[in-house]
Amino acid sequence: MTNDSTHAATAEVTAIDTQARVPLTLLLAAGLIWLVISGVLGVITSIQLHTPGFLADCSFLTAGRAQAMRETSFLYGWIANTGLAVVLWVLGRLGGSPLRALNWTVAGTIFWNLGLAVGLVGIGLGDMTSFASFQLPRYVGVLMLFAYAAIALPGVLAWSGRRSHGLFASHWYGVAALFLFPWLFSAAQLVLLWSPMRGTLQAVAGGWYTQSLWSLWLAPLALTGAYYIVPKVAGRLMPSYDFAPLGFWTLIFIGGWTGGRHLVGGPVPAWIPTMAVVACTMMLFHYILVGLNLRIASQAGGTAIKFIRFGLVAYVLTGTLDALTSFRVIAVETQFTFMATALEQLGVYAGISMMLFGALYYMLPRLTGRPWASAALTTGHRVLVSFGVVLLVATLAVAGWTQGSDLLDSKLALGEIFNRLRVPLMVGTAAQIALVAANLLLVVNFFRSACVCCATSTPSETPFRQPSALEAHAS
Amino acid sequence: MKNGFIFLLGLFTAIALSWAGIVLGTHAQLGALTPYYDDTEGKSFPERTTGIAASGQLVYADLGCAACHTQQVRRPDYGSDQARGWGERQSVARDYIHQSLPQLGASRLGPDLANLAGRKPSAPDAEDLLKLLYAGSLTHPPYKFLFEQKSIVGESSARALRLTGNLAPAPGHEVVPSDRALALVGYLLSLNTAYDYPESLPATPPAAGHAPDTKQEAKK
Amino acid sequence: MSTPLNSDPRIDQAAVTDESLQSAHDVLLGKQPDEKARYKLLPLNLLFLFSGLIFLAGTYLNRYAGHFDPHIYNENSIPVKGGAVAAVVVDPVVAGKKLFNNAACNTCHMVNGVGQPGAIPPLVGSDWVTGSEERIIRIVLHGLQGPITVNGANYNSAMPPFGRVAGSGFNWSDDKIASVVTYVRQEWGNQAPPVTTAKVTEIRTKDGDRKPWTVDELQKLP
Ligand code: HEC
Repeated sequence: MTNDSTHAATAEVTAIDTQARVPLTLLLAAGLIWLVISGVLGVITSIQLHTPGFLADCSFLTAGRAQAMRETSFLYGWIANTGLAVVLWVLGRLGGSPLRALNWTVAGTIFWNLGLAVGLVGIGLGDMTSFASFQLPRYVGVLMLFAYAAIALPGVLAWSGRRSHGLFASHWYGVAALFLFPWLFSAAQLVLLWSPMRGTLQAVAGGWYTQSLWSLWLAPLALTGAYYIVPKVAGRLMPSYDFAPLGFWTLIFIGGWTGGRHLVGGPVPAWIPTMAVVACTMMLFHYILVGLNLRIASQAGGTAIKFIRFGLVAYVLTGTLDALTSFRVIAVETQFTFMATALEQLGVYAGISMMLFGALYYMLPRLTGRPWASAALTTGHRVLVSFGVVLLVATLAVAGWTQGSDLLDSKLALGEIFNRLRVPLMVGTAAQIALVAANLLLVVNFFRSACVCCATSTPSETPFRQPSALEAHAS
Repeated sequence: MKNGFIFLLGLFTAIALSWAGIVLGTHAQLGALTPYYDDTEGKSFPERTTGIAASGQLVYADLGCAACHTQQVRRPDYGSDQARGWGERQSVARDYIHQSLPQLGASRLGPDLANLAGRKPSAPDAEDLLKLLYAGSLTHPPYKFLFEQKSIVGESSARALRLTGNLAPAPGHEVVPSDRALALVGYLLSLNTAYDYPESLPATPPAAGHAPDTKQEAKK
Repeated sequence: MSTPLNSDPRIDQAAVTDESLQSAHDVLLGKQPDEKARYKLLPLNLLFLFSGLIFLAGTYLNRYAGHFDPHIYNENSIPVKGGAVAAVVVDPVVAGKKLFNNAACNTCHMVNGVGQPGAIPPLVGSDWVTGSEERIIRIVLHGLQGPITVNGANYNSAMPPFGRVAGSGFNWSDDKIASVVTYVRQEWGNQAPPVTTAKVTEIRTKDGDRKPWTVDELQKLP
């Protein structure tokens, strides 16, 4: 603890929060809008899975394109905007002084989302690239890179100008996310879109991008918030924190090597999937250590922690299942099936998104200086979204498993397999609808809380308790 | 900020290493893969794709057909691809060297298409494919927007689909596939993996050779 | 202590300050100068778990990486030194079956090798197939014409040359000839030893270019 008693450490909400209110709320709002859009697209694509004729005459929403738009708006709309807001805010708090150059963030947010919107319309009109999680058309790439740099600038400044000297876990993850995405994105742009590699090398590079996106960007975005909020609310030191660096560097160094994850048995030399299996196994270090560090989440309460706890369990589960299903014996059942989709949703929805929801719930009251507008909407959102995501992942997993074993039986015609998938896929649609409904609750709650005119309590009476100092020897 | 600089350097090394290993590594190995010249047949394989097939591949890509179809056949003892008649051998990197946008795909709600035109005993023909695209089926979405329904002026178009039953257009009208539909079908009909490369032939693991004496030894 | 703090779902209370959060964790990493460096070994169970994982991963990599050979697609095959293509041990029966059925022998002898009554002799159970390897190699290399008796039935027709010899429309390499002959000798219940490429080359060089064989000529040779 510092002996400077006038320092802001005494108050929970400071200029760091108030000055960042508008830019960060803007990012959060953009994220939520995309969340709803991708949710609606999710309902459409999930209907198209069991009723192929649905909206088929509309070329803008034909199955392949709607699917690409759903994924893109989810990753680059919802997760990117929200995740960046969380990272900027956490880096600001840890840096100990108000974020600088936030105007850049505002400008960046506008252009990022503009670029994304143009890109989505482009996908609808047939300009998509054919790489998973990288479908944005070529022409928005450069714009989005610049916009990203502008958004991230205050975060980098806060990090380099921080007061304390050590680096905290959230620093590692936050800075890694901010710093690595541009490299990743531009490297992929280069070899996939500007001067495309030959033949199946594209699939290898595409796999590298998808897997790196997960481990170098999506996961760090969410973990930045989790590593900050969990000990902060629980008021404890993180157990096994001395191994947290090992966990971090495993993620960063090994992540990209899982690139051949989905190419088992495919037209690439055998060593590429083998390398991915090995990397997925080694990644277990990371997941185990994250689980160990953040297990104190089970000893705390509150909306944010409940979300983050859910997200962490799903995150660790994703890592474990990813490692298991990467092995060839199991992959032969799960490859090319809905099991892959289930794991993806387990990761990005039940894992990353739930952690981001938690961070959002924690952060917004500090930005606005007031609690969330409605307790009922908060709880309602949490219950409904948890239900929806569990249902979604479970039905996809069931569908994937039956599909996998059916595909192995060469006497079973594809039409027959399809018929057996119908029921789980219909339940999947119900889950998607539940998710949209849940997220609409969040949107209403968010706009009521964020917008000044809807304020119910006067900001003068601060609702925040005084935090105390963390005892270094407690464990 | 020495500390911070080293940290950034670490991050950069991490991404550079995996990039070099996975992307540049395979590029070094396979980037210069050449077609295979068969001196018996006097030509190289895979054969160059025709213009219509190349433009059809773009249509396939922009409609996102890869959301439900793969184009990669796995080896016989790994999955049922060959037992389902999707191909007679494992797909290898050489198969794709002339393709500008290889569509390996990752989901098999529909069949694999790597060897669509070479399927035995019977591969679909252009008319089958156009009808499927126009009408769809219980399991396949229709792509009516790739076709044009118009009234017959003078003689009916040679391209018009021969549709019967409730699919038939109103009298005096015909359904004509667009250029995009024809390109797509041209592309689909170019998909075949009939030619065997040395590396695509099934390998017998040395331990489990088919010579009778090794088998007996293994039993002991 | 944290549960009563967070009873209101609308707001999450923080228990500790940012400053103390960071400095307390810094101490754990041994970064704070006033603290003696606390190097702790991995706890034993973690150590075991992690070394187990590393061992598993290492073994898998060693076993299934196909020696990082760009032409190895089956992780079970192990490359032979020198030459990537030779690395793959090709099963001649599989290769031969493809050749047989690829608009070649199957058009006359049929897929199941039974031939066509009165026109094309069967390959199933034929002594010409399972008997002398030299004779069948010669037939497939240079073709056959004139009367022949197979399984008690008489035929009199012509079979085209398949080898890389003058007048052959197929020009198959010795390798292909060896595979297809091995295939017909081991399929449909036929049981005869395989034929090597070297043997085919030997016979082809010995015979040179010639017209299709007749049964009489063949019977004079082994
Ligand atoms: C154009 C039709 C045709 C094709 C193609 C053909 N054969 Fe024949 N094959 C014949 C005929 C006809 C005979 C009998 C010749 C005669 O009457 O002298 C024959 C005879 C034979 C015989 C000896 C008689 C017997 O039935 O055992 C063998 C062995 C044989 N063929 C193998 C093959 C193989 C192996 C191939 C493919 C590489 C092949 N043939 C392709 C028409 C064909």
